[in-house]
Amino acid sequence: MQSDTQKEELATRSTETTQRFVTLKDKLSSEEYNFEHFRTKHLLSDAQATIEKRGIQPGEVAPDFELPRVSGGTLRLSELRGKPVLLHFGSFT
Amino acid sequence: MDVVIRQAHPGADVPAYHSFEQKMRDAAAYRREDGIGWPVLVDDLEGTTHQVYGGLADPTYLIDIDGRVAFYNLWTHAPTLHEALEELRQQGWRGEVKGGVHQTPHLLSSMTDGWKGLRRGWPQSFIELETSAPGMASGPWLGYQLRPLLAPLTLRAKPLPPSAKLGLAVGAAALLILGVRNLRSRPATSSSRGRTRNKRLQ
Repeated sequence: MQSDTQKEELATRSTETTQRFVTLKDKLSSEEYNFEHFRTKHLLSDAQATIEKRGIQPGEVAPDFELPRVSGGTLRLSELRGKPVLLHFGSFT
Repeated sequence: MDVVIRQAHPGADVPAYHSFEQKMRDAAAYRREDGIGWPVLVDDLEGTTHQVYGGLADPTYLIDIDGRVAFYNLWTHAPTLHEALEELRQQGWRGEVKGGVHQTPHLLSSMTDGWKGLRRGWPQSFIELETSAPGMASGPWLGYQLRPLLAPLTLRAKPLPPSAKLGLAVGAAALLILGVRNLRSRPATSSSRGRTRNKRLQ
């Protein structure tokens, strides 16, 4: 069972996470995101993201999403509450 | 689970995505060719979910049973994840593990495994990466050729046992000491040192 403080903390963190969706101001345009050529700037951006640890920070609620599965249907992250989840972001290339 | 993101190293047969259908087709090939047994999801064309999660190149997040990030690996490395999972299990699948973030790229495992994705975009993917960072594309190509030799060390799912690490360290130290001794036993003029080195290279 979660205490009230824990619940409050969780609610605050969820709001922070929602804010992330709303204020993702450095979101790239579709053309920038889906670049046609890999250039040095992409490598530098990866290096910078690594140094800045630009991911969802430990302790934060993992932002929820619902995405289509290759095998059909969709999967929502929050459906997996109660189980540990390994979430990998991978490219075909 | 896997979320399929943009084309990291586009090429003639694998161009940058212009439609979701194209991304879905590649995701199906990714699952089939790499023999992935867990759910493979496809992000939208703009990469919204990927960007919300930081837009990182090859990350894996470990999420605890309350839905919070317990740990993330900026450059996915199986043995590190194995340790993180084990630590989380011991904590009852809750809370932070292994300091929360592991950001070190494991170059040797990338060198042995990285060719798989890169070869799909050959030759464009190779030329563009090699031009940006010499060795980053030819290294994985070489690593792929030496795969039978390197894989048992670099592509492990679990960390090497401490005894094996110790053995490798002792071996490396012994080689180093032998090398230094060998150099010292020669006359210490720069030209003879040069000759020794040349002889070694032959």
